[in-house]
Amino acid sequence: MNGNGKKKKIGVFVCHCGVNIASVVDVERVAKALENYPGVEFSTNYVYMCSEPGQKMILEKIKEQKLDSVIVAACSPTLHEKTFQNVVELAGINPYQLEIANIREQDSWVHSDKEKATAKAVKIVKSMVEKVLQNESLEPIRVGVTRRALVIGGGISGLQAALDIADHGYEVLLVEKGPSIGGHMIQLSETFPTLDCSQCIMTPKMVEVSRHPKIRLLTYHEVESVSGFVGNFKVKIRKKPRYVNPDLCTLCGDCEKVCPQIVSDEFNMGLSFRKAIYMPFPQAVPGTYTLDIDNCLGLLPIRCGKCKDVCEPKAINYDEQEEIFEEEVGAIVVSTGYDLYTMDHLGEYGGERYEDVLNGLEFERILSASGPTGGVVRRPSDGKVPKNVVFIQCCGSRDTENHNPYCSKICCMYTAKHAMLYKHRVPDGHATVFYIDVRTGGKAFDEFYQRAVEEDHVLYIRGKVSKVFQEGDRIIVWGVDTLTGKKVEMEADMVVLAMSMVKTEGGEELLKKLKIATDANGWLAEAHPKLRPVESLNAGFFLAGCAHGPKDIPETVAQASAAAAKVGDLFAQKELLHEPTIVPVNEELCSGCGICVTVCPYGARELDPIKKVVKVNEILCEGCGACAAACPSGAAQQKNQTDNQIFSMVKAILKG
Amino acid sequence: MKLHYYPGCTLKEKTTNLDDSTRAAMEVLGYELVEPENWTCCGAEFPLTEEKIVGLAAPTRILRQVELEGGDKVVTTCAFCFNVLKRTNEALLKDPLKHKRINAYLRDDIKIDPLTKKKTTDFAEYHETVWVLHLMEFIKYQIGYDKVKSHIKRDLANLKVAPYYGCRLLRPAGEVGIDIPDDPHIFEEFLENIGCEVVDFPFKQECCGSYISVSLPDAASEASYQILRSARYCGADMLALSCPLCYYNLDRRQDRIKERFFDFTGMPILFFTQLLALALGVDEKVLGLDQHYYDPRPVLSKMHKTEVVS
Amino acid sequence: MRVKLKIGEEEKQFIERVSELSGQDVYKCYQCGRCSAGCPFAFEMDLLPNQIIRMVQMGLQDEVIHSKTLYLCASCFTCQSRCPKGIDLARLMEAIRLLIEPKGKDQFGPNDVPTKLANELPQQVLVAVYRKFSK
Repeated sequence: MNGNGKKKKIGVFVCHCGVNIASVVDVERVAKALENYPGVEFSTNYVYMCSEPGQKMILEKIKEQKLDSVIVAACSPTLHEKTFQNVVELAGINPYQLEIANIREQDSWVHSDKEKATAKAVKIVKSMVEKVLQNESLEPIRVGVTRRALVIGGGISGLQAALDIADHGYEVLLVEKGPSIGGHMIQLSETFPTLDCSQCIMTPKMVEVSRHPKIRLLTYHEVESVSGFVGNFKVKIRKKPRYVNPDLCTLCGDCEKVCPQIVSDEFNMGLSFRKAIYMPFPQAVPGTYTLDIDNCLGLLPIRCGKCKDVCEPKAINYDEQEEIFEEEVGAIVVSTGYDLYTMDHLGEYGGERYEDVLNGLEFERILSASGPTGGVVRRPSDGKVPKNVVFIQCCGSRDTENHNPYCSKICCMYTAKHAMLYKHRVPDGHATVFYIDVRTGGKAFDEFYQRAVEEDHVLYIRGKVSKVFQEGDRIIVWGVDTLTGKKVEMEADMVVLAMSMVKTEGGEELLKKLKIATDANGWLAEAHPKLRPVESLNAGFFLAGCAHGPKDIPETVAQASAAAAKVGDLFAQKELLHEPTIVPVNEELCSGCGICVTVCPYGARELDPIKKVVKVNEILCEGCGACAAACPSGAAQQKNQTDNQIFSMVKAILKG
Repeated sequence: MKLHYYPGCTLKEKTTNLDDSTRAAMEVLGYELVEPENWTCCGAEFPLTEEKIVGLAAPTRILRQVELEGGDKVVTTCAFCFNVLKRTNEALLKDPLKHKRINAYLRDDIKIDPLTKKKTTDFAEYHETVWVLHLMEFIKYQIGYDKVKSHIKRDLANLKVAPYYGCRLLRPAGEVGIDIPDDPHIFEEFLENIGCEVVDFPFKQECCGSYISVSLPDAASEASYQILRSARYCGADMLALSCPLCYYNLDRRQDRIKERFFDFTGMPILFFTQLLALALGVDEKVLGLDQHYYDPRPVLSKMHKTEVVS
Repeated sequence: MRVKLKIGEEEKQFIERVSELSGQDVYKCYQCGRCSAGCPFAFEMDLLPNQIIRMVQMGLQDEVIHSKTLYLCASCFTCQSRCPKGIDLARLMEAIRLLIEPKGKDQFGPNDVPTKLANELPQQVLVAVYRKFSK
């Protein structure tokens, strides 16, 4: 009986899935067993139900037998529920009158006894009949869309995503926590495999972003909190005081000259110094000075005040305050980038004890024409040009025991680039790379690596280094060449460690605020590893760049553009449709205990303080059912998954 | 205060200087060291395969004796004994089945009552209540460096000491280890706090050759040579350590190292407890400084003779 | 030198025995070589530690059990502490020694101690070396 008291006419369609199901489950017997089951009007089987002829047959049988509900006994509903919902909808049946009985993943794939598996399949289908008998016809929940995007992070991925979304014609808020956009890419010297200058290809993009009429650039800002749901987010953004008005700052640099505070320069990876009032690098966007309050002597003019005194355009304002403001957006692109694993994890390579043992980004700065050595390869300790440079790969990567289990993906290529660039700058020097495997899966990548070996005579030694230590000014590397079976000891003037890429330190806190899903290593989790690689599991969030996992520049740009296209898809819809299989509250039964509020992972439920009952935000509710299971009074009943339905299903299974 | 202390075989015979200096220093700090009754050899090597599980019986018996005598912790100075006792304790804790098997072995122990001369076999099981500590850990975590400092009588600031950990205090990683295997600090902290100048050198956690010095002496000589060469190169006057076997390889065998490596210049090797005792003002005569192959006394004479007022 | 590779029953049994005795999963090793790079006695070895584990993976029983590497391991655990896959090679070496023990003779027994050293050797070194290298 359905809700209207009318008797239901159910059709059962049992799929063979080739031999996937049919080799273990006797599909014909299953179809036969259901023929006379109460409520079932028609039952049959077919070799591939999801194929065009299979779908057609369902359509025809619905019309011929005047069916009003359908059960497809086949694979998991995550695969083809949508397919068959579309089929029944074509025949004029409400899609929520369709159910999938999973007899593949939950039966034929996990059993081998044909007799028992067939009996189990029959039970599974019968239980679905009991469910369908009580299914309601449902309509999707509709909601509007704010056509405005938030992009978090101003590295290459964030810039690309922001530009693409803006070019689609939608407004973009680009939030960057640092004083300038540019990310790690602006720190790089040259890029593999073409060796074009990173700054030369990056700066035009930065300028384009700053001038785009649809992009609001918010540097030195941080996202405080996000509430709401897909299409309708509310974002609190914190503006950190810069103490310099970008519109008035003429970049004369007078303030920097008088500032007495000297601190380590992050842009140059600590290989040089900057002042407390500074511009991170000459091409910074926005082009303005920033006063780094953590290192300033103090804003009271009595303590210092030198910069303000010399600033002719009166751009410096010590009274600037932190501000928090709220914005509405419909989609959020998370492009918060990566950090390098710190060397203090690797005591066997000296930790951070030795000045001339560097990480890859430090070496990028040494190679860069705008770097601390003006592009001349000099070692930090004494400024000498190193004649022997050893590069060590997989530092902290591919180590399931003590460090990170994954491959950082880009190190093979950038190490080849480092060795090659070093040889170009120091032709009489020797570059040696210790590697485990050289991974060059990318367009023109392997050719690049071979060039390093053949033309630049970089010596590749297959084996992971065990120890790096310094005695006097000699750095000694203990490695092995597994190809010759020799333990190798080597003297070096400089060592470059290809440190593993890791999730950003501050990013972790941000991701918690966003309540966005991450994987075991802290990288953002995609909704589906194959089919939905740029969407988060959390609706309305999109992923771009290394926050999702290690990747190189072309891949980052491609992913950012894909994320932007997905944002475009979302914004192109008139309204959003949301699954109606949510868990409403029966206010008469609800005691207001609030247990369901605490178990809801989506923040969809809250206690109405006046009525003392729980209210449900239908859009936030993902229909997971946690609340329904926890509700002690039965007030929380999931649509088409009510307690009564579940009891009937259990009964059908126990009865056989 | 009474404290259970397991010296191990070598300390009773070949390196009494380690035993004597430990006792003297701990007495100054207010501890009376008590040895578990009827202790035996710990086995020196922790058995690495399940088939040799019977090797756990001896160290368990020692721990059980401490437990029977009401001790909740036992300290050692010998790195080998520390390694075996601690790993045994951990292994039993981690694997209840192993614990049961070993306890079954212990049940066969026979005790002769000294009064009645009767055999009794009702021996207790070991219940995993003893905490195995290396003396350096005990000093850091139980006594505290501040208290040690307040007892210092001699200024060792002129001694450039390289701390040598060797293997057994640090590895296997995750099972034993008084500090992080590749970035240890506890020995340096200890030396700093008793007033020495610490010399960091990159061979501090390399192997000295261990028992290979008997089966393949030349291979061990090379390993020991590298350690002493590096310590010397980094400016150390002496090497401090806690293992009697490392002491044998690095001190007693210096004559054989010299035979193989002509540029080798020797170096005095001291036990960390000897330095501790010196700092605490213990009479030098107690410390067995005359037992060393390389006489440390000339280098030690660099110490200020004046007593510090604390 | 050519080796005829065959993974038959005998080889499988060898691999299984070594894994079982040592408690180490030899299939985890991806041959980075770090064990050999840090081994203090690699310079004396005929087969490097990573080659030993490689040959176990390949079932090359003869090569492995005749290697003098087995008697050069000082159980210093340097390899274990740095292995990216957490393999304890000292346990593996001990397992292989144990496997051939019933057939072989003492590699180092009481009669092998030079008499002139007998008096100076610390007790623990003798206990240790017998435990490792004699039956």
